[in-house]
Amino acid sequence: MTTTTTTNTPAWLLQPEVGLCPCGCIGKRRKGSFVGKTLAGATGVLRQAMFSEDVAAGRGLLQRLDPRVKLVTMVGLLVVVALVHSLPILVGAYAATVALAVASGLSLGYFIKRVWLFIPIFTGIVVLPATLSVVTPGEVLLPLWHWHGHTHGVTEQGLHGAGIIVARVATSISLVVLLTLTTPWARLLAALRALGVPKIFVLIIGMAYRYLFLLLDAVDDMYTARKARTLVADTGRGEVKSGRRFVAAGAGTLFGKAHQLSEEVHQAMTARGYTGNARTLSGFRLRGVDIAFTLFAAALAVAILVADHKVGR
Amino acid sequence: MSTVFECRDLRYRYLDRFTALDGVSLRVERGETVALLGANGCGKSTLLKLLDGLLFADSGTFTAFGEEVTEDKLEDEQFNHGFRARVGFVFQNSDAQVFSPSVREEVAFGCLQLGLDRDTANTRVDDVLSMLDIADLADRAPFQLSGGQKKRVAIASVLVMNPEVLLFDEPTAALDPRTQFWLIELLEQLRSAGKTIVLATHDLDTLPDLADRCVVFSEQHRVVADAPTATVLDDRDLLLSANLIHTRAATAHSRTSRW
Repeated sequence: MTTTTTTNTPAWLLQPEVGLCPCGCIGKRRKGSFVGKTLAGATGVLRQAMFSEDVAAGRGLLQRLDPRVKLVTMVGLLVVVALVHSLPILVGAYAATVALAVASGLSLGYFIKRVWLFIPIFTGIVVLPATLSVVTPGEVLLPLWHWHGHTHGVTEQGLHGAGIIVARVATSISLVVLLTLTTPWARLLAALRALGVPKIFVLIIGMAYRYLFLLLDAVDDMYTARKARTLVADTGRGEVKSGRRFVAAGAGTLFGKAHQLSEEVHQAMTARGYTGNARTLSGFRLRGVDIAFTLFAAALAVAILVADHKVGR
Repeated sequence: MSTVFECRDLRYRYLDRFTALDGVSLRVERGETVALLGANGCGKSTLLKLLDGLLFADSGTFTAFGEEVTEDKLEDEQFNHGFRARVGFVFQNSDAQVFSPSVREEVAFGCLQLGLDRDTANTRVDDVLSMLDIADLADRAPFQLSGGQKKRVAIASVLVMNPEVLLFDEPTAALDPRTQFWLIELLEQLRSAGKTIVLATHDLDTLPDLADRCVVFSEQHRVVADAPTATVLDDRDLLLSANLIHTRAATAHSRTSRW
Protein backbone atom coordinates (compact mmCIF):
# COMPACT_ATOMS: atom_id res chain seq x y z
CA MET A 1 0.00 0.00 0.00
CA THR A 2 1.36 3.44 -0.88
CA THR A 3 1.18 5.91 1.92
CA THR A 4 3.31 8.61 0.36
CA THR A 5 3.16 10.11 -3.09
CA THR A 6 5.85 11.95 -5.02
CA THR A 7 5.24 14.29 -7.92
CA ASN A 8 7.35 13.65 -11.01
CA THR A 9 7.46 17.22 -12.22
CA PRO A 10 8.77 17.45 -15.79
CA ALA A 11 11.85 19.65 -16.18
CA TRP A 12 10.15 22.08 -18.59
CA LEU A 13 7.57 22.94 -15.95
CA LEU A 14 10.33 24.12 -13.66
CA GLN A 15 11.80 26.47 -16.30
CA PRO A 16 10.43 29.93 -17.15
CA GLU A 17 8.54 29.89 -20.47
CA VAL A 18 10.50 31.69 -23.20
CA GLY A 19 8.09 31.35 -26.09
CA LEU A 20 5.35 33.64 -24.79
CA CYS A 21 3.90 36.29 -27.06
CA PRO A 22 5.24 39.83 -26.63
CA CYS A 23 3.02 42.23 -24.72
CA GLY A 24 1.18 45.15 -26.30
CA CYS A 25 -1.62 45.64 -28.84
CA ILE A 26 -1.29 45.36 -32.61
CA GLY A 27 -4.77 46.66 -33.32
CA LYS A 28 -6.20 43.32 -34.43
CA ARG A 29 -9.47 42.35 -32.79
CA ARG A 30 -11.61 39.26 -33.16
CA LYS A 31 -15.35 39.06 -32.83
CA GLY A 32 -16.99 36.66 -30.37
CA SER A 33 -17.94 33.22 -31.68
CA PHE A 34 -21.50 31.99 -32.10
CA VAL A 35 -21.05 29.74 -29.06
CA GLY A 36 -19.97 32.69 -26.93
CA LYS A 37 -22.84 34.83 -28.13
CA THR A 38 -25.39 32.07 -27.51
CA LEU A 39 -24.07 31.47 -24.02
CA ALA A 40 -23.97 35.19 -23.27
CA GLY A 41 -27.63 35.33 -24.31
CA ALA A 42 -28.51 32.36 -22.12
CA THR A 43 -26.70 33.89 -19.14
CA GLY A 44 -28.61 37.10 -19.80
CA VAL A 45 -31.87 35.16 -19.59
CA LEU A 46 -30.72 33.74 -16.25
CA ARG A 47 -29.95 37.19 -14.88
CA GLN A 48 -33.28 38.46 -16.17
CA ALA A 49 -35.09 35.61 -14.42
CA MET A 50 -33.37 36.49 -11.15
CA PHE A 51 -34.30 40.14 -11.62
CA SER A 52 -37.92 39.28 -12.42
CA GLU A 53 -38.21 37.20 -9.23
CA ASP A 54 -37.34 40.37 -7.28
CA VAL A 55 -39.87 42.41 -9.26
CA ALA A 56 -42.51 39.71 -8.73
CA ALA A 57 -41.95 39.91 -5.00
CA GLY A 58 -42.63 43.69 -5.04
CA ARG A 59 -45.66 45.49 -3.64
CA GLY A 60 -47.39 46.70 -6.83
CA LEU A 61 -51.05 46.30 -7.79
CA LEU A 62 -50.79 42.95 -9.57
CA GLN A 63 -48.26 41.53 -7.09
CA ARG A 64 -50.85 41.88 -4.33
CA LEU A 65 -53.38 39.69 -6.15
CA ASP A 66 -53.98 36.00 -5.62
CA PRO A 67 -52.08 34.21 -8.43
CA ARG A 68 -55.15 32.13 -9.30
CA VAL A 69 -57.15 35.32 -9.90
CA LYS A 70 -54.34 36.72 -12.01
CA LEU A 71 -54.03 33.52 -14.03
CA VAL A 72 -57.76 33.22 -14.72
CA THR A 73 -58.30 36.92 -15.51
CA MET A 74 -55.26 37.09 -17.77
CA VAL A 75 -56.33 33.99 -19.70
CA GLY A 76 -59.84 35.47 -19.98
CA LEU A 77 -58.46 38.77 -21.27
CA LEU A 78 -56.25 36.87 -23.74
CA VAL A 79 -59.35 35.21 -25.20
CA VAL A 80 -61.14 38.58 -25.41
CA VAL A 81 -58.16 40.17 -27.18
CA ALA A 82 -58.13 37.28 -29.67
CA LEU A 83 -61.78 38.05 -30.52
CA VAL A 84 -61.35 41.80 -31.09
CA HIS A 85 -61.21 43.01 -34.72
CA SER A 86 -60.96 46.76 -34.22
CA LEU A 87 -57.53 48.37 -34.33
CA PRO A 88 -58.33 51.37 -32.05
CA ILE A 89 -59.78 49.06 -29.41
CA LEU A 90 -56.74 46.80 -29.55
CA VAL A 91 -54.51 49.83 -29.17
CA GLY A 92 -56.63 50.89 -26.20
CA ALA A 93 -56.29 47.43 -24.66
CA TYR A 94 -52.52 47.59 -25.13
CA ALA A 95 -52.49 51.00 -23.40
CA ALA A 96 -54.42 49.41 -20.52
CA THR A 97 -51.71 46.74 -20.13
CA VAL A 98 -49.07 49.48 -20.02
CA ALA A 99 -51.10 51.28 -17.33
CA LEU A 100 -51.28 48.01 -15.33
CA ALA A 101 -47.51 47.61 -15.67
CA VAL A 102 -46.99 51.11 -14.28
CA ALA A 103 -49.45 50.45 -11.43
CA SER A 104 -47.51 47.30 -10.60
CA GLY A 105 -44.23 49.19 -10.32
CA LEU A 106 -42.63 47.60 -13.38
CA SER A 107 -39.98 49.52 -15.25
CA LEU A 108 -41.83 50.93 -18.27
CA GLY A 109 -38.77 50.76 -20.55
CA TYR A 110 -38.10 47.13 -19.61
CA PHE A 111 -41.74 46.15 -20.03
CA ILE A 112 -42.08 47.77 -23.47
CA LYS A 113 -38.72 46.42 -24.64
CA ARG A 114 -39.58 42.90 -23.53
CA VAL A 115 -42.80 42.99 -25.55
CA TRP A 116 -41.58 44.77 -28.66
CA LEU A 117 -38.23 43.04 -29.01
CA PHE A 118 -39.70 39.89 -30.52
CA ILE A 119 -42.71 41.29 -32.37
CA PRO A 120 -40.77 42.60 -35.40
CA ILE A 121 -38.89 39.29 -35.63
CA PHE A 122 -41.77 36.84 -35.35
CA THR A 123 -44.94 38.75 -36.26
CA GLY A 124 -43.30 41.24 -38.62
CA ILE A 125 -42.05 38.52 -40.95
CA VAL A 126 -45.47 36.86 -41.01
CA VAL A 127 -47.54 40.02 -41.65
CA LEU A 128 -45.19 41.77 -44.07
CA PRO A 129 -46.46 39.95 -47.21
CA ALA A 130 -50.06 40.61 -46.09
CA THR A 131 -49.52 44.35 -46.52
CA LEU A 132 -48.87 43.94 -50.26
CA SER A 133 -51.58 44.31 -52.90
CA VAL A 134 -50.88 40.81 -54.29
CA VAL A 135 -52.07 39.31 -50.98
CA THR A 136 -54.51 41.98 -49.74
CA PRO A 137 -56.00 43.93 -52.68
CA GLY A 138 -57.04 47.52 -52.02
CA GLU A 139 -55.96 51.13 -52.30
CA VAL A 140 -52.21 51.25 -52.90
CA LEU A 141 -50.57 53.74 -50.52
CA LEU A 142 -46.96 52.96 -51.34
CA PRO A 143 -46.40 51.88 -54.98
CA LEU A 144 -43.55 49.41 -55.34
CA TRP A 145 -43.81 47.91 -58.86
CA HIS A 146 -46.04 47.77 -61.97
CA TRP A 147 -47.38 44.59 -63.55
CA HIS A 148 -49.56 44.52 -66.72
CA GLY A 149 -50.49 48.15 -66.23
CA HIS A 150 -51.49 47.72 -62.59
CA THR A 151 -49.69 49.41 -59.72
CA HIS A 152 -48.68 47.08 -56.89
CA GLY A 153 -47.39 47.90 -53.43
CA VAL A 154 -48.45 48.35 -49.83
CA THR A 155 -52.23 48.77 -49.53
CA GLU A 156 -54.29 50.57 -46.91
CA GLN A 157 -56.31 47.40 -46.24
CA GLY A 158 -53.11 45.37 -45.93
CA LEU A 159 -51.63 47.85 -43.44
CA HIS A 160 -54.85 47.83 -41.43
CA GLY A 161 -54.88 44.02 -41.27
CA ALA A 162 -51.20 43.91 -40.34
CA GLY A 163 -51.80 46.57 -37.69
CA ILE A 164 -54.58 44.48 -36.14
CA ILE A 165 -52.37 41.39 -35.97
CA VAL A 166 -49.40 43.28 -34.53
CA ALA A 167 -51.58 45.07 -31.95
CA ARG A 168 -53.25 41.79 -30.97
CA VAL A 169 -49.90 40.02 -30.57
CA ALA A 170 -48.44 42.96 -28.61
CA THR A 171 -51.44 43.06 -26.25
CA SER A 172 -51.40 39.28 -25.77
CA ILE A 173 -47.67 39.22 -25.05
CA SER A 174 -48.09 42.18 -22.69
CA LEU A 175 -50.72 40.26 -20.72
CA VAL A 176 -48.47 37.20 -20.43
CA VAL A 177 -45.46 39.34 -19.49
CA LEU A 178 -47.58 41.11 -16.87
CA LEU A 179 -48.55 37.77 -15.39
CA THR A 180 -45.02 36.33 -15.33
CA LEU A 181 -43.31 39.51 -14.14
CA THR A 182 -45.69 40.04 -11.23
CA THR A 183 -45.97 36.45 -10.02
CA PRO A 184 -43.08 34.54 -8.45
CA TRP A 185 -42.51 31.29 -10.33
CA ALA A 186 -43.31 29.15 -7.29
CA ARG A 187 -46.67 30.87 -6.80
CA LEU A 188 -47.51 30.59 -10.48
CA LEU A 189 -46.94 26.84 -10.29
CA ALA A 190 -49.01 26.65 -7.10
CA ALA A 191 -51.81 28.54 -8.87
CA LEU A 192 -51.71 26.06 -11.76
CA ARG A 193 -52.04 23.23 -9.25
CA ALA A 194 -54.86 24.96 -7.42
CA LEU A 195 -56.71 25.39 -10.72
CA GLY A 196 -56.62 21.65 -11.35
CA VAL A 197 -53.57 21.18 -13.59
CA PRO A 198 -52.24 17.65 -12.77
CA LYS A 199 -49.68 17.76 -9.92
CA ILE A 200 -47.14 15.58 -11.67
CA PHE A 201 -47.21 17.90 -14.70
CA VAL A 202 -46.62 20.97 -12.51
CA LEU A 203 -43.87 19.12 -10.59
CA ILE A 204 -42.06 18.28 -13.84
CA ILE A 205 -42.28 21.88 -15.13
CA GLY A 206 -41.04 23.19 -11.78
CA MET A 207 -38.08 20.85 -11.71
CA ALA A 208 -37.23 21.47 -15.36
CA TYR A 209 -37.13 25.21 -14.69
CA ARG A 210 -35.12 24.72 -11.49
CA TYR A 211 -32.44 22.55 -13.11
CA LEU A 212 -32.29 24.58 -16.30
CA PHE A 213 -30.38 27.20 -14.32
CA LEU A 214 -28.01 24.64 -12.86
CA LEU A 215 -27.24 23.09 -16.23
CA LEU A 216 -26.88 26.51 -17.81
CA ASP A 217 -24.29 27.29 -15.16
CA ALA A 218 -22.47 24.05 -16.00
CA VAL A 219 -22.39 24.97 -19.71
CA ASP A 220 -21.18 28.46 -18.87
CA ASP A 221 -18.38 26.99 -16.73
CA MET A 222 -17.34 24.62 -19.52
CA TYR A 223 -17.23 27.44 -22.04
CA THR A 224 -15.34 29.78 -19.71
CA ALA A 225 -12.78 27.04 -18.98
CA ARG A 226 -12.27 26.51 -22.71
CA LYS A 227 -12.08 30.24 -23.41
CA ALA A 228 -9.51 30.73 -20.65
CA ARG A 229 -7.22 28.25 -22.40
CA THR A 230 -7.82 29.46 -25.97
CA LEU A 231 -4.84 31.59 -26.86
CA VAL A 232 -4.63 31.45 -30.65
CA ALA A 233 -7.34 33.22 -32.59
CA ASP A 234 -8.96 30.67 -34.86
CA THR A 235 -10.76 32.40 -37.69
CA GLY A 236 -13.17 31.52 -40.45
CA ARG A 237 -14.27 27.94 -41.06
CA GLY A 238 -11.82 26.58 -38.49
CA GLU A 239 -13.51 28.50 -35.74
CA VAL A 240 -16.97 27.36 -36.77
CA LYS A 241 -15.75 23.76 -36.89
CA SER A 242 -14.07 23.91 -33.47
CA GLY A 243 -17.16 25.67 -32.10
CA ARG A 244 -19.34 22.87 -33.41
CA ARG A 245 -17.03 20.27 -31.91
CA PHE A 246 -17.21 22.05 -28.56
CA VAL A 247 -21.01 22.20 -28.69
CA ALA A 248 -21.21 18.47 -29.50
CA ALA A 249 -18.77 17.51 -26.73
CA GLY A 250 -20.51 19.88 -24.31
CA ALA A 251 -23.91 18.42 -25.12
CA GLY A 252 -22.58 14.93 -24.39
CA THR A 253 -21.03 15.98 -21.09
CA LEU A 254 -24.16 17.85 -20.13
CA PHE A 255 -26.31 14.84 -20.93
CA GLY A 256 -24.16 12.73 -18.61
CA LYS A 257 -24.36 15.35 -15.86
CA ALA A 258 -28.11 15.72 -16.26
CA HIS A 259 -28.55 11.95 -16.05
CA GLN A 260 -26.45 11.71 -12.88
CA LEU A 261 -28.30 14.65 -11.35
CA SER A 262 -31.70 13.18 -12.20
CA GLU A 263 -30.75 9.96 -10.41
CA GLU A 264 -29.64 11.89 -7.33
CA VAL A 265 -32.77 14.06 -7.34
CA HIS A 266 -34.93 10.94 -7.49
CA GLN A 267 -33.00 9.46 -4.56
CA ALA A 268 -33.43 12.71 -2.61
CA MET A 269 -37.18 12.58 -3.25
CA THR A 270 -37.43 8.89 -2.33
CA ALA A 271 -35.45 9.54 0.86
CA ARG A 272 -38.17 11.96 1.96
CA GLY A 273 -41.03 9.59 1.35
CA TYR A 274 -41.92 10.24 -2.31
CA THR A 275 -43.56 7.19 -3.83
CA GLY A 276 -44.97 8.65 -7.04
CA ASN A 277 -47.77 10.80 -5.70
CA ALA A 278 -46.41 14.28 -4.95
CA ARG A 279 -48.22 16.22 -2.23
CA THR A 280 -47.60 19.93 -2.25
CA LEU A 281 -48.38 23.08 -0.28
CA SER A 282 -51.11 25.28 -1.67
CA GLY A 283 -53.53 27.21 0.44
CA PHE A 284 -54.58 30.45 -1.18
CA ARG A 285 -57.24 32.73 0.27
CA LEU A 286 -59.26 35.21 -1.78
CA ARG A 287 -59.35 38.76 -0.41
CA GLY A 288 -61.35 41.88 -1.26
CA VAL A 289 -58.74 43.15 -3.68
CA ASP A 290 -58.92 39.85 -5.62
CA ILE A 291 -62.69 40.05 -5.98
CA ALA A 292 -62.47 43.71 -6.98
CA PHE A 293 -59.86 42.93 -9.64
CA THR A 294 -61.90 40.00 -10.98
CA LEU A 295 -64.95 42.29 -11.32
CA PHE A 296 -62.80 44.98 -12.96
CA ALA A 297 -61.33 42.48 -15.44
CA ALA A 298 -64.79 41.08 -16.23
CA ALA A 299 -66.18 44.59 -16.79
CA LEU A 300 -63.19 45.45 -18.98
CA ALA A 301 -63.68 42.28 -21.03
CA VAL A 302 -67.38 43.02 -21.58
CA ALA A 303 -66.63 46.67 -22.42
CA ILE A 304 -64.01 45.64 -24.98
CA LEU A 305 -66.32 43.12 -26.64
CA VAL A 306 -69.29 45.54 -26.74
CA ALA A 307 -67.15 48.37 -28.09
CA ASP A 308 -65.64 46.09 -30.71
CA HIS A 309 -69.11 44.95 -31.75
CA LYS A 310 -70.32 48.56 -32.09
CA VAL A 311 -67.22 49.71 -34.01
CA GLY A 312 -67.48 46.65 -36.24
CA ARG A 313 -71.05 47.63 -37.23
CA MET B 1 -29.02 0.89 24.18
CA SER B 2 -30.80 -0.70 21.20
CA THR B 3 -29.41 -1.30 17.76
CA VAL B 4 -30.60 1.04 15.03
CA PHE B 5 -28.64 -0.31 12.06
CA GLU B 6 -26.83 -3.57 11.57
CA CYS B 7 -24.95 -4.41 8.39
CA ARG B 8 -23.45 -7.83 7.81
CA ASP B 9 -20.90 -8.47 5.07
CA LEU B 10 -22.35 -5.92 2.64
CA ARG B 11 -20.97 -6.00 -0.89
CA TYR B 12 -21.87 -3.54 -3.61
CA ARG B 13 -20.51 -2.96 -7.10
CA TYR B 14 -21.48 -0.23 -9.57
CA LEU B 15 -22.32 -1.57 -13.05
CA ASP B 16 -21.20 -5.01 -11.81
CA ARG B 17 -17.60 -3.85 -12.26
CA PHE B 18 -16.56 -1.13 -9.85
CA THR B 19 -16.41 -2.27 -6.25
CA ALA B 20 -17.75 0.24 -3.73
CA LEU B 21 -18.16 -1.99 -0.67
CA ASP B 22 -16.32 -5.24 -0.11
CA GLY B 23 -17.69 -7.11 2.87
CA VAL B 24 -18.64 -4.25 5.19
CA SER B 25 -20.08 -5.04 8.61
CA LEU B 26 -21.24 -2.33 10.95
CA ARG B 27 -23.53 -1.73 13.91
CA VAL B 28 -25.01 1.62 14.97
CA GLU B 29 -26.66 1.96 18.38
CA ARG B 30 -29.45 4.38 19.27
CA GLY B 31 -28.21 7.86 20.23
CA GLU B 32 -24.71 7.26 18.90
CA THR B 33 -22.81 9.55 16.56
CA VAL B 34 -20.74 7.47 14.19
CA ALA B 35 -18.29 8.91 11.70
CA LEU B 36 -17.47 6.99 8.54
CA LEU B 37 -13.90 7.90 7.67
CA GLY B 38 -12.07 7.18 4.47
CA ALA B 39 -10.41 8.63 1.40
CA ASN B 40 -12.36 9.72 -1.68
CA GLY B 41 -14.06 6.81 -3.45
CA CYS B 42 -13.69 4.33 -0.57
CA GLY B 43 -17.46 3.67 -0.37
CA LYS B 44 -18.69 5.99 2.41
CA SER B 45 -21.42 7.62 0.33
CA THR B 46 -22.51 4.27 -1.07
CA LEU B 47 -22.85 2.90 2.46
CA LEU B 48 -24.95 5.91 3.50
CA LYS B 49 -27.26 5.33 0.53
CA LEU B 50 -27.55 1.68 1.53
CA LEU B 51 -28.38 2.75 5.10
CA ASP B 52 -31.11 4.99 3.69
CA GLY B 53 -32.57 2.24 1.50
CA LEU B 54 -31.74 4.08 -1.70
CA LEU B 55 -29.35 1.40 -2.94
CA PHE B 56 -29.46 -2.31 -2.16
CA ALA B 57 -26.46 -4.53 -1.55
CA ASP B 58 -25.47 -7.23 -4.02
CA SER B 59 -24.97 -9.53 -1.03
CA GLY B 60 -25.04 -9.31 2.75
CA THR B 61 -27.85 -8.16 5.02
CA PHE B 62 -28.93 -4.77 6.29
CA THR B 63 -31.23 -4.51 9.29
CA ALA B 64 -32.83 -1.26 10.50
CA PHE B 65 -34.78 -1.03 13.77
CA GLY B 66 -34.75 -4.83 13.97
CA GLU B 67 -36.24 -5.39 10.51
CA GLU B 68 -34.30 -6.45 7.45
CA VAL B 69 -34.45 -3.77 4.76
CA THR B 70 -34.82 -5.01 1.20
CA GLU B 71 -36.01 -3.47 -2.04
CA ASP B 72 -39.11 -5.65 -1.90
CA LYS B 73 -39.92 -4.60 1.68
CA LEU B 74 -39.54 -0.90 0.89
CA GLU B 75 -42.21 -1.28 -1.76
CA ASP B 76 -44.63 -2.01 1.07
CA GLU B 77 -46.39 1.30 1.76
CA GLN B 78 -46.44 1.02 5.54
CA PHE B 79 -42.87 -0.17 5.88
CA ASN B 80 -41.63 2.53 3.47
CA HIS B 81 -43.57 5.22 5.35
CA GLY B 82 -42.20 4.10 8.73
CA PHE B 83 -38.62 3.79 7.48
CA ARG B 84 -38.59 7.16 5.66
CA ALA B 85 -40.10 8.92 8.67
CA ARG B 86 -37.37 7.54 10.94
CA VAL B 87 -34.31 8.04 8.73
CA GLY B 88 -33.30 11.38 7.19
CA PHE B 89 -30.48 11.85 4.69
CA VAL B 90 -28.63 15.09 3.95
CA PHE B 91 -26.93 14.66 0.57
CA GLN B 92 -23.48 16.02 -0.19
CA ASN B 93 -24.80 17.75 -3.30
CA SER B 94 -27.39 20.21 -2.02
CA ASP B 95 -28.45 20.99 -5.59
CA ALA B 96 -29.82 17.46 -5.91
CA GLN B 97 -31.74 17.79 -2.67
CA VAL B 98 -33.19 21.25 -3.22
CA PHE B 99 -35.45 20.58 -6.21
CA SER B 100 -38.67 22.48 -5.44
CA PRO B 101 -39.53 25.90 -6.90
CA SER B 102 -39.29 27.66 -3.53
CA VAL B 103 -37.57 27.13 -0.17
CA ARG B 104 -40.90 26.81 1.65
CA GLU B 105 -42.13 24.11 -0.74
CA GLU B 106 -38.79 22.34 -0.48
CA VAL B 107 -38.82 22.19 3.30
CA ALA B 108 -42.47 21.14 3.38
CA PHE B 109 -41.96 18.34 0.81
CA GLY B 110 -40.99 15.57 3.26
CA CYS B 111 -43.76 16.35 5.77
CA LEU B 112 -46.40 16.35 3.08
CA GLN B 113 -45.20 13.06 1.57
CA LEU B 114 -45.46 11.49 5.01
CA GLY B 115 -49.06 12.58 5.28
CA LEU B 116 -48.94 15.61 7.61
CA ASP B 117 -51.73 18.11 6.96
CA ARG B 118 -50.87 21.47 5.41
CA ASP B 119 -51.31 23.52 8.58
CA THR B 120 -49.00 21.28 10.63
CA ALA B 121 -46.52 21.20 7.75
CA ASN B 122 -46.58 25.00 7.51
CA THR B 123 -46.03 25.39 11.25
CA ARG B 124 -43.13 22.95 11.21
CA VAL B 125 -41.60 24.69 8.19
CA ASP B 126 -41.76 28.07 9.95
CA ASP B 127 -40.19 26.60 13.11
CA VAL B 128 -37.34 24.90 11.27
CA LEU B 129 -36.63 27.91 9.05
CA SER B 130 -36.37 30.21 12.05
CA MET B 131 -34.29 27.64 13.97
CA LEU B 132 -31.80 27.52 11.09
CA ASP B 133 -31.97 31.30 10.70
CA ILE B 134 -33.27 31.21 7.12
CA ALA B 135 -36.84 32.43 7.63
CA ASP B 136 -36.15 35.31 5.24
CA LEU B 137 -35.40 32.83 2.45
CA ALA B 138 -38.81 31.12 2.60
CA ASP B 139 -40.12 32.49 -0.68
CA ARG B 140 -36.83 32.45 -2.55
CA ALA B 141 -36.15 30.21 -5.55
CA PRO B 142 -33.25 27.74 -5.11
CA PHE B 143 -31.19 29.35 -7.88
CA GLN B 144 -31.08 32.55 -5.84
CA LEU B 145 -29.32 30.84 -2.92
CA SER B 146 -25.62 30.60 -2.13
CA GLY B 147 -23.94 27.24 -1.43
CA GLY B 148 -24.18 27.71 2.35
CA GLN B 149 -27.83 28.74 2.15
CA LYS B 150 -28.62 25.70 0.00
CA LYS B 151 -26.97 23.45 2.60
CA ARG B 152 -29.13 25.01 5.35
CA VAL B 153 -32.25 24.47 3.24
CA ALA B 154 -31.24 20.85 2.59
CA ILE B 155 -30.76 20.28 6.34
CA ALA B 156 -34.07 22.03 7.11
CA SER B 157 -35.86 19.82 4.59
CA VAL B 158 -34.70 16.74 6.55
CA LEU B 159 -35.03 18.11 10.11
CA VAL B 160 -38.62 19.15 9.46
CA MET B 161 -39.52 15.43 9.34
CA ASN B 162 -38.00 14.99 12.80
CA PRO B 163 -36.29 11.67 12.00
CA GLU B 164 -34.70 9.49 14.67
CA VAL B 165 -31.61 8.89 12.58
CA LEU B 166 -29.76 11.48 10.54
CA LEU B 167 -27.33 10.56 7.79
CA PHE B 168 -24.94 13.28 6.61
CA ASP B 169 -22.76 12.89 3.55
CA GLU B 170 -19.67 15.13 3.81
CA PRO B 171 -21.61 17.78 5.72
CA THR B 172 -18.81 20.32 5.96
CA ALA B 173 -17.45 19.92 2.42
CA ALA B 174 -17.26 23.13 0.33
CA LEU B 175 -18.65 25.31 3.11
CA ASP B 176 -17.09 28.54 4.32
CA PRO B 177 -15.66 28.50 7.88
CA ARG B 178 -18.63 30.30 9.45
CA THR B 179 -21.15 27.87 7.93
CA GLN B 180 -18.91 24.93 8.89
CA PHE B 181 -18.86 26.10 12.48
CA TRP B 182 -22.60 26.65 12.48
CA LEU B 183 -23.11 23.12 11.16
CA ILE B 184 -20.85 21.57 13.78
CA GLU B 185 -22.80 23.37 16.51
CA LEU B 186 -26.05 22.12 15.01
CA LEU B 187 -24.77 18.53 14.94
CA GLU B 188 -23.73 18.85 18.59
CA GLN B 189 -27.24 20.09 19.43
CA LEU B 190 -28.89 17.22 17.58
CA ARG B 191 -26.56 14.78 19.25
CA SER B 192 -27.41 16.06 22.71
CA ALA B 193 -31.10 15.86 21.77
CA GLY B 194 -30.59 12.10 21.45
CA LYS B 195 -30.59 11.75 17.66
CA THR B 196 -28.59 8.96 16.11
CA ILE B 197 -26.17 10.46 13.62
CA VAL B 198 -24.07 8.78 10.96
CA LEU B 199 -21.80 11.07 9.02
CA ALA B 200 -19.35 10.42 6.23
CA THR B 201 -16.36 12.72 6.33
CA HIS B 202 -12.64 13.10 6.01
CA ASP B 203 -12.51 16.25 8.07
CA LEU B 204 -10.61 14.99 11.12
CA ASP B 205 -10.29 18.32 12.93
CA THR B 206 -13.92 18.46 14.04
CA LEU B 207 -14.32 14.78 14.92
CA PRO B 208 -13.36 14.82 18.65
CA ASP B 209 -16.30 17.15 19.37
CA LEU B 210 -18.70 15.32 17.11
CA ALA B 211 -18.34 11.57 16.93
CA ASP B 212 -18.42 8.90 19.63
CA ARG B 213 -17.04 6.28 17.31
CA CYS B 214 -15.23 6.15 13.99
CA VAL B 215 -15.46 3.47 11.33
CA VAL B 216 -12.43 3.68 9.06
CA PHE B 217 -12.56 2.47 5.44
CA SER B 218 -9.52 1.40 3.48
CA GLU B 219 -9.05 2.33 -0.13
CA GLN B 220 -9.90 -1.33 -0.80
CA HIS B 221 -13.51 -0.57 0.32
CA ARG B 222 -13.27 -2.58 3.56
CA VAL B 223 -13.67 -1.55 7.19
CA VAL B 224 -10.19 -1.51 8.75
CA ALA B 225 -11.07 -0.05 12.13
CA ASP B 226 -14.14 0.50 14.28
CA ALA B 227 -13.23 2.16 17.56
CA PRO B 228 -13.87 5.19 19.78
CA THR B 229 -12.90 8.48 18.14
CA ALA B 230 -9.93 9.17 20.41
CA THR B 231 -8.45 5.71 19.72
CA VAL B 232 -8.78 6.13 15.95
CA LEU B 233 -7.35 9.64 15.92
CA ASP B 234 -4.38 8.55 18.02
CA ASP B 235 -3.50 5.76 15.59
CA ARG B 236 -1.24 7.61 13.17
CA ASP B 237 -0.37 4.49 11.15
CA LEU B 238 -4.03 3.66 10.64
CA LEU B 239 -4.82 7.18 9.43
CA LEU B 240 -1.82 7.11 7.10
CA SER B 241 -2.74 3.73 5.64
CA ALA B 242 -6.35 4.83 5.10
CA ASN B 243 -5.12 7.96 3.29
CA LEU B 244 -6.74 10.22 5.87
CA ILE B 245 -3.51 12.04 6.65
CA HIS B 246 -0.25 12.40 4.75
CA THR B 247 3.20 11.92 6.21
CA ARG B 248 4.17 15.50 5.45
CA ALA B 249 0.95 17.00 6.77
CA ALA B 250 1.12 14.71 9.79
CA THR B 251 4.65 15.86 10.59
CA ALA B 252 3.62 19.51 10.36
CA HIS B 253 0.49 18.80 12.38
CA SER B 254 2.31 16.87 15.11
CA ARG B 255 3.91 20.09 16.31
CA THR B 256 0.52 21.43 17.29
CA SER B 257 -1.74 18.45 17.74
CA ARG B 258 -1.97 14.70 18.13
CA TRP B 259 -0.41 13.55 14.79
